[in-house]
Amino acid sequence: MTSHLGLMIVFSLFVSIVFAVLTRDDPKEQIVFGARLFGGFIGAGVLIGWLLYPLPL
Amino acid sequence: MRAAAADRTQTSSLTYLLCAIAWFVPGAGHLWLGRRQKGVVFLVALSLMFVFGLWLEGRLFPFDMTQPLVALSAIADLGVGGPYFIARLMGVGRGDVVAITYEYGNTFIIAAGLLNMLVVLDVFDIAKGRK
Repeated sequence: MTSHLGLMIVFSLFVSIVFAVLTRDDPKEQIVFGARLFGGFIGAGVLIGWLLYPLPL
Repeated sequence: MRAAAADRTQTSSLTYLLCAIAWFVPGAGHLWLGRRQKGVVFLVALSLMFVFGLWLEGRLFPFDMTQPLVALSAIADLGVGGPYFIARLMGVGRGDVVAITYEYGNTFIIAAGLLNMLVVLDVFDIAKGRK
């Protein structure tokens, strides 16, 4: 697997799961918080990617 | 649902023993304290993350104090505990710097170690009766 987006999704998934389980006790809250974190990671990654797009390498 | 043992305030020496166990086997501290769901999730997620990092050609950094960033990475790698020593014994984690996934692999390994450190701190708080 060499796709940057794919690896970012896998990384976000792992980190979201650990943070959600670490900071919430109720399984339902863990799922909601984990989903929010995961969405936030992916959304921020895509947004920052687009913001950097016009910049020369 | 938590076992009654999880809510008991642990003695100081037992707290540190628990932290050591939690560090060495990700999730073991929570399992010991009766928080089975959390323990299983940490065990699976952190171990998988570490293995994934190795599979992506990540490197287990040496404790080279002449290069501070390498030394800090080594400390973060060590944070994952037992899997780090198993990988060392198996001779994996040499890292292939020309592999396209090298930096990704390092990120996974380092993040797994740092997250396990947070898990150990959580075990400490639970054992002290703060959570």
